[in-house]
Amino acid sequence: MAAMARETRSHYGEVPRQLGGVPVEPGFRIIADGQFLLRCASGYGYHYVPGTGITIERPNHADPDEESLWLNGSVYAAVACLNGLYPVHASAVASGGQVYAFTGPPGAGKSTMITGLGLRGLAMFCDDTLLLDLSDPQAVIALPGHKRLKLTDHALALTGLAGEQPVGAGTGKSYVVPPAGDVREPLPLARLVFLEEGPSAQWRTIEGAERFVRLADDHYTQDIYHEAQRPDRAALFAQRARLAQQVGMARLVRPLSAAGFAASLDLAAQRLGLPIKENQL
Amino acid sequence: MTGELVKAVGRFSETTIDTETVVMDLDSGDFFSLTGTAAAVWQRIDGTRSREALLAELVIEYGQTPEEIAADVDAFLTQLFAAGLVADS
Repeated sequence: MAAMARETRSHYGEVPRQLGGVPVEPGFRIIADGQFLLRCASGYGYHYVPGTGITIERPNHADPDEESLWLNGSVYAAVACLNGLYPVHASAVASGGQVYAFTGPPGAGKSTMITGLGLRGLAMFCDDTLLLDLSDPQAVIALPGHKRLKLTDHALALTGLAGEQPVGAGTGKSYVVPPAGDVREPLPLARLVFLEEGPSAQWRTIEGAERFVRLADDHYTQDIYHEAQRPDRAALFAQRARLAQQVGMARLVRPLSAAGFAASLDLAAQRLGLPIKENQL
Repeated sequence: MTGELVKAVGRFSETTIDTETVVMDLDSGDFFSLTGTAAAVWQRIDGTRSREALLAELVIEYGQTPEEIAADVDAFLTQLFAAGLVADS
């Protein structure tokens, strides 16, 4: 936590056009010499140097919304990965001193799920990217999120919430205040739930080798992790094996209708043993 | 496949999750998820047992005839040999 706060300090300035002797054109990124350089097609540039923080180069017609999205997305992920943290594409709530995370591909309903649970009284832990500290072999520690909660119009309709302000930068999403607030301290990861769409709300505990297989993650943050840490197959295997052994997993299938959404919240809370308030949706 | 069966140390990684064993071929990145007979075969490959000795143990453990169990065992061993994860000494 303290290390990430220190390492993500930012200031404006010029970023280099190459790193490690490799030219980086607009639209590309590189991790070399323990540093990260991103040059966006829009003209934004980000350069991270350990111990120094992040330099942000703004284009002439800067879009603060875009600046924030890059900074909280690829740049933050790169800093985390270069500092040994492991990213998972997931949104999470906290309850009873533990973290319950929901994962799935884009559009699976991760943010909507934690917002719904927030309306039932559970505090948000993170949205979209869950960072894990695996330095203690006996515990999988999750770090609280740095991103603001973002919802699509469909998710706003499902949850009955109003957006605080548009995210902008063509995302079609709105920032939302977490209904039950958020948690700002590292906590152990208790469960990882895979979200899927289906005709009725169903829950299935994932056992055995399927837990290992399910951990295959094609989110962009995993690409950044591989570039930062360059783990070989044996190291990746050991990491996935450890997560599969130490983190309980389940599959939640549900329809994305209003009725199905409410039912899925009840089912998830019941199966995870989460204390929730009466249905307010 | 007449000598003692031995794993090619360094060619694979393995882990056990609940009751299942996952083995990865480090060269190809391919996974094997092992349960039942396959897991029992893999656990017994330690350089001290031949195919015949292994079969004899599994016959007792599973209460089947050698003919009934040999087909499964041989098919799995053929896979392991082809992947270079097991050899006989």
